[in-house]
Amino acid sequence: MVLRTVNLSKRFGNRWAVADLNLAVESGQIFGFLGPNGAGKSTTIRMLLALIKPSRGTYEFFDQDARQLGIGVYRKIGALVEKPDFYLYLSAERNLKMLGELSGGVSSQRIDEVLEIVKLQDRASDKVKNYSHGMRQRLGIAQAILCDPELIILDEPTTGLDPVGIKEIRDLIVSLAHDFGKTIFLSSHLLHEVEQVCSHMAIIDNGKLVVQGAVHDLLKATDYFVTEIAVDDPERARTVLADEPRIRQITLTENTLKVQAAVEARPDLVERLVQNGLKVSAVIPRTSLEDYYLSLVQHSDGQ
Amino acid sequence: MILIFKATGLELIKIFSKWRTYIGFATITVLVPLIMGLVRRYGFGLEYEATRSLGNSFEFIGSLANGLLVSYYLMNVLWVHFPFFIMLVAGDVMASEGAAGTYRLWLTRPINRLQVVTSKFLATFGYTLAIVLFLGICSIGLGMLIVGGGDLFVFDKGILILSQSDALWRFLLAYLIAAWVQMTVASLAFMFSTWTSNSVGPIIGTYAVIMVSLIMAALKIGALEKIRPYLFVSYFDVFFMPFCDPIPWGDIGASLLKLTAFIALFFGLSVISFMRKDICT
Repeated sequence: MVLRTVNLSKRFGNRWAVADLNLAVESGQIFGFLGPNGAGKSTTIRMLLALIKPSRGTYEFFDQDARQLGIGVYRKIGALVEKPDFYLYLSAERNLKMLGELSGGVSSQRIDEVLEIVKLQDRASDKVKNYSHGMRQRLGIAQAILCDPELIILDEPTTGLDPVGIKEIRDLIVSLAHDFGKTIFLSSHLLHEVEQVCSHMAIIDNGKLVVQGAVHDLLKATDYFVTEIAVDDPERARTVLADEPRIRQITLTENTLKVQAAVEARPDLVERLVQNGLKVSAVIPRTSLEDYYLSLVQHSDGQ
Repeated sequence: MILIFKATGLELIKIFSKWRTYIGFATITVLVPLIMGLVRRYGFGLEYEATRSLGNSFEFIGSLANGLLVSYYLMNVLWVHFPFFIMLVAGDVMASEGAAGTYRLWLTRPINRLQVVTSKFLATFGYTLAIVLFLGICSIGLGMLIVGGGDLFVFDKGILILSQSDALWRFLLAYLIAAWVQMTVASLAFMFSTWTSNSVGPIIGTYAVIMVSLIMAALKIGALEKIRPYLFVSYFDVFFMPFCDPIPWGDIGASLLKLTAFIALFFGLSVISFMRKDICT
């Protein structure tokens, strides 16, 4: 286990920002930590990084109590907490060099490498105050991976980025996990982000854990998979499938039929459409994490 | 320990990468040659003030004014004016990181908070030492260059005439002591700086404490005598002691020890505050 929290809690005044949180993140996972704004995501991350002290509970890194590991464990952890704030009056290179020295020193070659990974090698000597938000965000990831950590904790890394920037960061996160074998703990309030990037997730609301597990399993178990089917006559297709008991919901948008049903039902549905003389040109699986998430969060609020 | 030295070096880089650090150096660079030039051109008016009380007993022929005498008088800026340059940096060292959110970067590295606060404190000391010595070197160097060298006449409960070589090493000692005095100011500003995320507050706070303390130390009211030993400004004049004859080593040592106690107190409170602080910015 790369990261585990045991009843981790933080109280600010009379309010529990995080209450009895139990998370488990295993090696190689891209773990999405999902929740609405103010749910307690950043507070949890700040506790994990010793920026704030937990009011109760413990946390472990690499199967050892963090209190026993001491600060040395942060050599194996890279983090980007909220917005990436750097020393604006220093260059990106100088910022990374300084941070590297605190971690025991990194070579100039490694600094060049990470700047290349985040595509900032051409602006390395520019002062950070001249960087755009997206560039600072990428530099934030560069400092997180600087010392080749095993675990990378990213707190809302795509906040404030344009669509191109968001895609770049997401691709980078996936690449870090798949190409470099890193474990990623990704906090986000963006459902699509978690849906597209993460293998596992936990949903937190009002400081409490609502659910956690593999994204696929969670969606599968709750039957919230959506399949988009492109057919020549969507109206008739809807009529054909109307009495199918395994379908939870059918919606029609432009020329595409959106069918909410279990994955296992897909071949039968397509076969039924074809048998009824419809021409199926595309079957696109789409999960509907948003529906799932909202149902869980609303349920949590109801309690 | 190595990490603390590394971190101190990095803190010095940060301090000397900010324009506010150079306000003090720039002011000294402009002000000292200006004063020396004016003294050379128009003479040293205070010379008359200093010799007036002794005019009946001594006959002064020529001018007593030289670069060393002007430098000696310039040391008076160390009381009230010069501390501003110290506060400007020391009050910013901790607060600016809180305001900028850069603690998140620093503290998520394998360095503990005690090491962080200690390295920042040492870097603040480095700056303080640098600017005090810069004032000393500028005022003595430029004084001798522009106004000229010679014996130093110290008028304090009589006349003490110090040869140039004797005066120079006393100046060195005086400025080293002055650096320690200014470090008391720096550590107070540093402490305030750990309590806030705005560097203006520590500057105003430190200035307020110094002004109130100086007023309390200056007022000739018997009741205030009781608290005077607990005011750190009561020991500020220690940097003039090397110009006494004989040098009161015991008094210097006692004053420095008390100032050290104040520095330790302010640093200790800074450490406690920072260790317990939740980094929420």
